Amino acid sequence: MTAHDHHDVLGTLMRDSLDHCVKCTICETFCPVSNVTPLFPGPKYVGPQAERFRVPADESPDDSLDYCSGCGICTQVCPQGVHIAEINTQARAKLRERTGFKLRDRIIARPDLTGRLGTPAAGLANRTLRSRPLRLVAERVLGIDHRAAVPSFAGRTFQAWAKGRTSPPAQRRVAYFHGCGANWYEPDSGQRTVELLEWLGCQVDVPRGQSCCGLPLQSNGMFGAARKYVRRMARALAPAARQGIDLVGTSTSCTLMLKREAREILGMDEDPDLRVVSDNMYDICEYLVMLHERGELRTDFRPLPLTVTYHAPCQQQGHGVGKPALDLMALVPGLRVIENDATCCGIAGTYGLKREKFDIAMDVGKGLFAQIGDARPDLAVCDSETCRWHIEQATGVKTVHPVEVLHRAAGLS
Amino acid sequence: MSRHDVVVVGAGMAGLTAAVRLAEGGATVLVLAKGVGATHLSPATIDVLGYAPDRVDRPLEALAAFAERHPGHPYGVVGAAGVAAAVPWFAERFADGPLAPYAYTGTADENLLLPTAVGVLRPSAVVPETMAGGDLRDGGEVCVVGFRALKDFHPRLAADNLSRHPGVTARGIELDCVPEGRVDVNALGFARAFDDAAFRKDVVARVAGRLHAEERVAFPAVLGIADPHAVWSELQDRLGRPVFEIPTLPPSVPGMRVFATLRERLRRAGSRVVLNNVVTGAEHRGGTVTGVRARVGLRDVVHGADWVVLATGGFASGGVELDSRWAGREVALGLPVAGIPAPGEERFGPAYFGEHPMARAGVAVDADQRPVGADGARVFDNVLVAGATLAGAEPWREKSGEGISLATGHRAAGLILDAAGSAQRSAVAATEG
Amino acid sequence: MARLQADVLIIGGGATGAATAWDAALRGFDVVLVDRADLAEGTSGRFHGLLHSGGRYVVKDRVAAEECVAENAIVRRILPDAVEDTGGLFVTTPDDDPAYGDRFMEGCRAAGLPAEEIPVAEALRMEPRLNPGIQRAFTVPDGAIDVWKSVWSLAAGAAAHGARILTYHKVLDLHVGDGGVTGARVRNELTGEELDIEAGFTLNASGAWAAQIVHMAGIEGIGVIPGKGIMIAMNHRLVNTVVNRCTMPADGDILVPIRTVSAIGTTDIRAADPDEIPVTQQEVDQMLDGGERLVPGLRQARALRVWAGVRPLFQDDRSGPAAADTRDVSRGHAVVDHAERDGVRRLLTMSGGKLTTMRLMAQDLVDAMCRQLGDERPCRTEHERPPGHEDGRHMQIGDRLRRREATLRDEQLICECELIGRSRLEQTMQTRGTLNLDDVRRQLRLGMGPCQGGFCIYRATGILHGVERLDGEEASASLTSFLQERWKGVWPILYGDQLRQARLDDWIFQGLLDVEHLPEAAAVVPDEELSAS
Repeated sequence: MTAHDHHDVLGTLMRDSLDHCVKCTICETFCPVSNVTPLFPGPKYVGPQAERFRVPADESPDDSLDYCSGCGICTQVCPQGVHIAEINTQARAKLRERTGFKLRDRIIARPDLTGRLGTPAAGLANRTLRSRPLRLVAERVLGIDHRAAVPSFAGRTFQAWAKGRTSPPAQRRVAYFHGCGANWYEPDSGQRTVELLEWLGCQVDVPRGQSCCGLPLQSNGMFGAARKYVRRMARALAPAARQGIDLVGTSTSCTLMLKREAREILGMDEDPDLRVVSDNMYDICEYLVMLHERGELRTDFRPLPLTVTYHAPCQQQGHGVGKPALDLMALVPGLRVIENDATCCGIAGTYGLKREKFDIAMDVGKGLFAQIGDARPDLAVCDSETCRWHIEQATGVKTVHPVEVLHRAAGLS
Repeated sequence: MSRHDVVVVGAGMAGLTAAVRLAEGGATVLVLAKGVGATHLSPATIDVLGYAPDRVDRPLEALAAFAERHPGHPYGVVGAAGVAAAVPWFAERFADGPLAPYAYTGTADENLLLPTAVGVLRPSAVVPETMAGGDLRDGGEVCVVGFRALKDFHPRLAADNLSRHPGVTARGIELDCVPEGRVDVNALGFARAFDDAAFRKDVVARVAGRLHAEERVAFPAVLGIADPHAVWSELQDRLGRPVFEIPTLPPSVPGMRVFATLRERLRRAGSRVVLNNVVTGAEHRGGTVTGVRARVGLRDVVHGADWVVLATGGFASGGVELDSRWAGREVALGLPVAGIPAPGEERFGPAYFGEHPMARAGVAVDADQRPVGADGARVFDNVLVAGATLAGAEPWREKSGEGISLATGHRAAGLILDAAGSAQRSAVAATEG
Repeated sequence: MARLQADVLIIGGGATGAATAWDAALRGFDVVLVDRADLAEGTSGRFHGLLHSGGRYVVKDRVAAEECVAENAIVRRILPDAVEDTGGLFVTTPDDDPAYGDRFMEGCRAAGLPAEEIPVAEALRMEPRLNPGIQRAFTVPDGAIDVWKSVWSLAAGAAAHGARILTYHKVLDLHVGDGGVTGARVRNELTGEELDIEAGFTLNASGAWAAQIVHMAGIEGIGVIPGKGIMIAMNHRLVNTVVNRCTMPADGDILVPIRTVSAIGTTDIRAADPDEIPVTQQEVDQMLDGGERLVPGLRQARALRVWAGVRPLFQDDRSGPAAADTRDVSRGHAVVDHAERDGVRRLLTMSGGKLTTMRLMAQDLVDAMCRQLGDERPCRTEHERPPGHEDGRHMQIGDRLRRREATLRDEQLICECELIGRSRLEQTMQTRGTLNLDDVRRQLRLGMGPCQGGFCIYRATGILHGVERLDGEEASASLTSFLQERWKGVWPILYGDQLRQARLDDWIFQGLLDVEHLPEAAAVVPDEELSAS
């Protein structure tokens, strides 16, 4: 199908985009994983090449595909419009049908469930997560690398905070898609997002019933469960979208999931809730820059005499909107922003947590970590939570969402 | 909708050239691209004109007569002056670029004859310093060094064919040094290995004792990606003789160096490349485009622009397409495509190296690089076309690809800066008046 | 002049010839097989890969259908590793009369073909790309067969039983004496050496070239009419089941998933000369329209390559009134007895036929020879497996991916599209001892994927240069002739993605490598190669 047709990028017909591959190898030169390990034969190989040898009836024979981290960079750089990462994700799901799902993957793919379980006993849970002996046990039993960064439970939820307050009425209404990250692990960050949006003149709705968007399940090949999560999340967000309220999220991979990936990869294009959510979903920086382009963004930020590095995570680049966080931070007087020129930090959601992949994830991130280390910044800035945890663990530099920077610049903290 | 002075569509040689010149000239520029451009596939030599159809020794001199023989050729539009202006501009971009002192050398006045990976002497005008030592116009002795793990470069094959050229003696040796024990490493993998001093030392140790007194040493074009000048200089010093690179099959390391340099220049000038934007049409009022529509993921967005530079490439890059009913289309803005044979006429011939009527199809332009229809009338006043999208050339045969892309991209930017400058001047004059 | 002696000389190294060599060798005959080119380089190597269930013939030609039913089962049994059990569908498209389905089912019952009508929705679930407007669907046991694998196995099996397989040996003349054929003079096309073969019996299995062969024995007018059929391979498997249009056989009505591609076929046009079968634009359009009817969107999918094959249609005016028109001949193939017909003894010609029944054709041919020799020996091919098929497992499309996975970190991948590793390529080059990369292609599928050699031709040439210790000129000749060979199958279908690929390949071969200016005229490509498909 020609490069510009819509139908070859959705669901089961996604593989048709392999027709556009001319073998040029550009994807391989950008693949963070195959550039550091021979265990992964590269996106061209496992994507458009291997896909010609796969049929629904046969077992998937290529275990090496499992080393794809799903970062999506191959698709971003492909000049011919091959949906390499998406083909791979679909093939990986099929591979998992044969190899089965590890208990570990079932656990790490459900951050909402772990959040629900860990939150009431946060102190104990966090001590467990920080305990080296217990982590070693977890590594042996489950295969979660004991060195990998895992989040702390906040012990309270963002939803509980949001339930107790109402946003002052304003002309512009946005609905905040907080997902599971802000709810169970970083409720402070969720609060600051709401406060910033309100400072910027938005009335912020927090739709009830949000949990996980299903992305970790999708990445780990559990498509059936992922679809259930997507459907539930879409149902929670659709009413706001149908009222014409823009949906804004701070987890850039989760906004991408609902904007695009669930329709493309999980073949859920027909779900009416998802369609309306997808059409109205914005990553927060994308949204604020859009307001700025219309001349509708409040920009009286106070000076912030800090040096920060900025890393645009792979999934943020998947939005195809450039690097709006840089444009926003450029509005803050006195702020010195050093743009990192690296593609991936290595964690790729849950990839770097796995024992067999942790070293690969560290090798992938090496260049980025060095850049951050060399810059000696006050803060590192990055739009995705799992990347932040990984970068912070690897570099020791406090790593925050761009919203945190703007929140400070707005004088709110 | 975002607004920009110029939206450049395409991030290959032509698009990046136009974008950098525009951004450095003070314009706000947005570069939209489907993906990374053809720089990664190109040998990264600036080939101005190599065959016309006989071999060309002095390209700049040959250009006028060549353009006359090929009406509608992009060189007829930019002229020898356009080429002469673009070449030094390009070389200067490297001067304090991210890879400096890695530099380009040569002029459009004369062609060098540089070996290809199959052992042909190919005419090129302006080339990376790391390749210039391969000029075999006066013959010479060459030791071609390759690596067993690099399947895209076969030193003995190249050497055997080089030796068939009068005055050239060549032999090939294949080394077993393998980065990290891998058996199948692409050009970029080797370039990264060459960035590492230990690997270089190993290579030098294996080659040094095997060289004849007068031999220069050829390597595949993988001599470093982070600091190629240092890698190349060190090899020359340690081997005590000229060392040069021969381009390999894609991916092209020297092409990545061009990409890295131009992208960094663009960033420094306050602009950037945004990928995954598939331009699907123009918003326009009559013959004036006000913005381009792009598909980003599953969403359509509009990027407003006063000017558009279209540099999406030709059939190879998908800037121009032919469908199964043999209708051509320019995919981004829907411009007319010239040079496609009518239904029933032959499009390609049975002999690979023969003439193919489709070969020169593309978008036709007027003297100011504005797209024109079959009647010669402009389609849009503020759209300029550059690079392989242009009709009239057969660059892979002429050895004119990068020359055309560079010259037309450079000139497109110049035309826009001039027009914007004069508009500003007249605005100022009007206020003052 | 060198001489060879044999019980049987078989002319033609296609499916029929190889099956005949296998059959005769198993019966204990001393066999020599000659072909002017490589094994399966003619008609056999230029077909769509369909192992017929017989469904195509049940209404029109009951006998042919019954033969297919029986032979399909036998071929699956004896050549399992060359057969993929894809299954087949017959579908009634919106342009077809649904009532034909009843005649079809009736024919299947009569021929003993296990067909079953299934709900349209189920067919669409099986094959999501099928035309949603189909009205009826029937399942049949169609399969896909790798013809090169089959022919090589049969030839290797024959060789293991003492047969001598002489490829690139062209028949220059038939020796006639004592009222019949006594052998042939052949020329080694690679060395130019000539050779005399004395044979007790000669079997003409040269297919569409049969008339040219018997002409050397002074025999005229045997009605083997070359019938041209074109096929287009699409870049990947648009379907995983063979899809047939449920109607009287017509043009462009079969889509076969074979290996990594799907082939749409075919046409049926009489060709004056079996070596002159150019592909026309009109035929390409016809195929694409036919494919579009079965799988909407096929015109937007990537066409990989087009080729033409030439069937040996049987139409012998001296074989009796029933055989006046091949469409009405009740059998798919016939043994022409030149003793009876022309008074030339010890010569039989196989005419007509189809790949699915190659084994039966061989049996009929060797049986006829045995009868004439008065030396009846039983045929054993119905149960015997040639080498390479011992485990009885069917070929699967994922086999190469599975094998590659095992050597992922130990071996260079040379042909990326068809997953050919360096050691396999080197071994094949060494065993074949050929300078012709096209020979390697037929054995390994080198250069047969999406890039059509764009990335592997240079690599393979470099490796060939080393393995065969070639000089630059020889290596360059191999490179340019393979480049030309690949071009001849793509230029008639260059549109869409394949044009994009071809243009990138131009940049590689002309822009980057400048192959056009290799010193001296490297390869002289004969004119007939340019015009043949």
